[in-house]
Amino acid sequence: MTDVFAALGHGFAVAATPINLFFCLAGAICGTLIGVLPGLGPVATISLLLPATYALSPVSAIIMLAGIYYGAQYGGSTTAILVNIPGESTSVVTAIDGYKMAQQGRASEALAIAAIGSFIAGCIGTVVIALLGPPLALMTQQFASPDYFSLMVLGLVSAVVLANGSAFRAIAMIFLGLLLGMVGMDLNTGEARMTFGLVELSDGINFVALVMGLFGVAEVISNLEGASVRIVNKMRIGTIWPSFKALRGAWGAVLRGTALGTLFGILPGGGATIASFSAYALEKRVARDRSRFGNGAIEGVAGPESANNAAAQTSFVPLLTMGIPTSATMALMVGALTLHGIAPGPMIISRQPDLFWGLIASMFLGNAMLVIINLPMIGIWVRLLAVPYRLLYLVIVVICAIGVYSVNNSSFDVYMTVGFSLLGYVLRKLDAEPAPLLMGFVLGPMVEENFRRSLITSHGDPMIFLQRPISLALLLVSAALLISIMMPAVRQRRVEVFQE
Amino acid sequence: MMRIAAAILSAGMALGATTASAQEWPSKTIKLVVPYAPGGYTDSVARIAARYLEKELGQTVIVDNRAGGGGIVGSDIVAKSPGDGYTLCICSVGAISVAPVAQTTSYDPVKSFKPVSIVSTIPQTVIVNPSLPINTMQDLVTYAKANPGKLSYGSSGAGGLMHYSVQLFDARNGTKMTHVPFKGGSPATAAVVSGEVNLSFTNMTDALPQMEANKVRALAVTSAKRNEFAPQLPTVSETVTPGYSVESWNGVMAPASTPDPIIAKLSDVLKKMAADPEMKKSMAVVGASTVFTTPEEYKAQIAAEVEQWRALLKEIAEKKN
Repeated sequence: MTDVFAALGHGFAVAATPINLFFCLAGAICGTLIGVLPGLGPVATISLLLPATYALSPVSAIIMLAGIYYGAQYGGSTTAILVNIPGESTSVVTAIDGYKMAQQGRASEALAIAAIGSFIAGCIGTVVIALLGPPLALMTQQFASPDYFSLMVLGLVSAVVLANGSAFRAIAMIFLGLLLGMVGMDLNTGEARMTFGLVELSDGINFVALVMGLFGVAEVISNLEGASVRIVNKMRIGTIWPSFKALRGAWGAVLRGTALGTLFGILPGGGATIASFSAYALEKRVARDRSRFGNGAIEGVAGPESANNAAAQTSFVPLLTMGIPTSATMALMVGALTLHGIAPGPMIISRQPDLFWGLIASMFLGNAMLVIINLPMIGIWVRLLAVPYRLLYLVIVVICAIGVYSVNNSSFDVYMTVGFSLLGYVLRKLDAEPAPLLMGFVLGPMVEENFRRSLITSHGDPMIFLQRPISLALLLVSAALLISIMMPAVRQRRVEVFQE
Repeated sequence: MMRIAAAILSAGMALGATTASAQEWPSKTIKLVVPYAPGGYTDSVARIAARYLEKELGQTVIVDNRAGGGGIVGSDIVAKSPGDGYTLCICSVGAISVAPVAQTTSYDPVKSFKPVSIVSTIPQTVIVNPSLPINTMQDLVTYAKANPGKLSYGSSGAGGLMHYSVQLFDARNGTKMTHVPFKGGSPATAAVVSGEVNLSFTNMTDALPQMEANKVRALAVTSAKRNEFAPQLPTVSETVTPGYSVESWNGVMAPASTPDPIIAKLSDVLKKMAADPEMKKSMAVVGASTVFTTPEEYKAQIAAEVEQWRALLKEIAEKKN
């Protein structure tokens, strides 16, 4: 244990040099900005800035790039809360209650808890990497395809909990999402599925195009049709600091979200997304009054926001301890390291202690900088809502279009956004919520991939899902959750029967 | 009459413009299309090459990532771009030599491009999980023959080079191993480390760090010659499968309509680049060896590779029936 602290001390010595402090700050600011701009994600930004890091030392470069990544997690919640546009899959659930809070004039409260929750989660996540990085990485090695399949099943069951309206509609939306997720190349045969011969669809539907359409532009359309355009404009802006009472209600959510985020963040493929969704589902489960969810519950912002930031930190574990990237952003970090002459792999901690411990120390400093940058910014962001909506919506639509285009430099994706905007508007009219749809869309391909891979490795024996302890446990939790969702409905029917 | 005259005149002007542009080339920013996502192996090679080209040609060279369909989308964009020397591709073996055979592409690997030079090559490494009683290539063949269908191998996806190289190996040795596709080479390598799959013919870049840490056992390289980064490893060809050669390459290609003077000028620059010690050092970091080929050699190699994969697919299809 003392070794860790000595090493961490060394890390702080590396991270606290003026030049590294500067690049940490630059990364944090840059990350916040791109996080705020919907659609423009860390992947596009880091690839743009990669050439600019050639002149830097590898440590400074990776500190800045990491700052962009977790900085974007802070910024990503801003548009989700203010204008109902989640910039990334991890802030989709934040929009549910965050946007409601903004409509009630509690935007600053939501933004503040998002920043504070992210800070606490970021620090705890970093401590976990420092103390437990290598053993945790070994733990993820125990996860094989059947376990991922069962984890994704748990995610899909939680998606039903997400819904605030009818469970029937939620399930329908999940299935629509699963269908949309089927589009693209079949992993096992290489055949194109439901692409209508369009090469642009061979990698599937672009997630950002789907989100911008279903959430962002559809929201704009329905705001414009109503005479009572944006209640929020007329509401008072409120104070920056959340009241003591509000904070007290949220601290439990922050800690629970952090725990889920830390754990799921380490898992490759969608860990952070599952973390934020399941944090929301968990908060709704443990809450005494569930009806508050979907109507501006502060836990619905605090839980997922803490979870996604904790996950943003711990997702570095597989990369730094084993050289295995777990997401597109992490793959980009591998690229950045190799361009700087460092091959990430299991030997990186012993060979590049400056880099490993310097990066970890910089995460503490970066998170502190981010909370200092973000809290005063809240006032500015909230004031943006005072801009007349006839001007604001134009800016929203243009930024959405730029954001979508920037992902693949593809105008096809912009046309898709237009299509999904119409779909989103129709769904809204039908009172169908888009969040479960996105959950199905994100998880569907992973469910399929891991299911089929499990069966290939077991030579077609489905018992593999019950034989592995991790998988079995996850399936049991899913079953329990499913029963607990059904029970109230069953009980209600019984009461009705007795009344008759 | 006037219309014909105008047509001839404008055709002449267009011709004049082409020759003029070939002489002055390059006079503006060059776009180097990478048909893969930023951060990957091809992207790294492209960025290293772009830095050199910028210095030599005196013009800005921007890297434009157009990922999708395993490299098909970006390669297609270049095939359909104007042949003025300002849109080039860092293409790779997967989308050029394998994909047009395995699936339908709207470009022809030989007719739609003018290849300039291969820039870098990298072999695949045969890696197995260390818990297996397989220490040599001979062991692998013996084990696979004794247990047909039992050994599983990870690949970067169906129809990718990591998939086909094992199919070729199976066909040549009369073995049968089970294909387990992943989304990319890196998760497939990770699956060998964790033991979820038994082996993989994986890119040397992904294999080297895991080999150093003894997380996987490396048996051989797939290239025709031994590799400078792991000289202790024999080739598949010298151990069990004479003549076996699979190598991943990245090369500069231009749209088919690009004038020859531009190709020649670019070829000269790439020749210098392959000999540049700085370049060799940068490419070595990503595990790649710098290479130069003439446009003719490059074209012949692509044609030969397309033929090899076409024949293999036919062979596999016939066996199934």
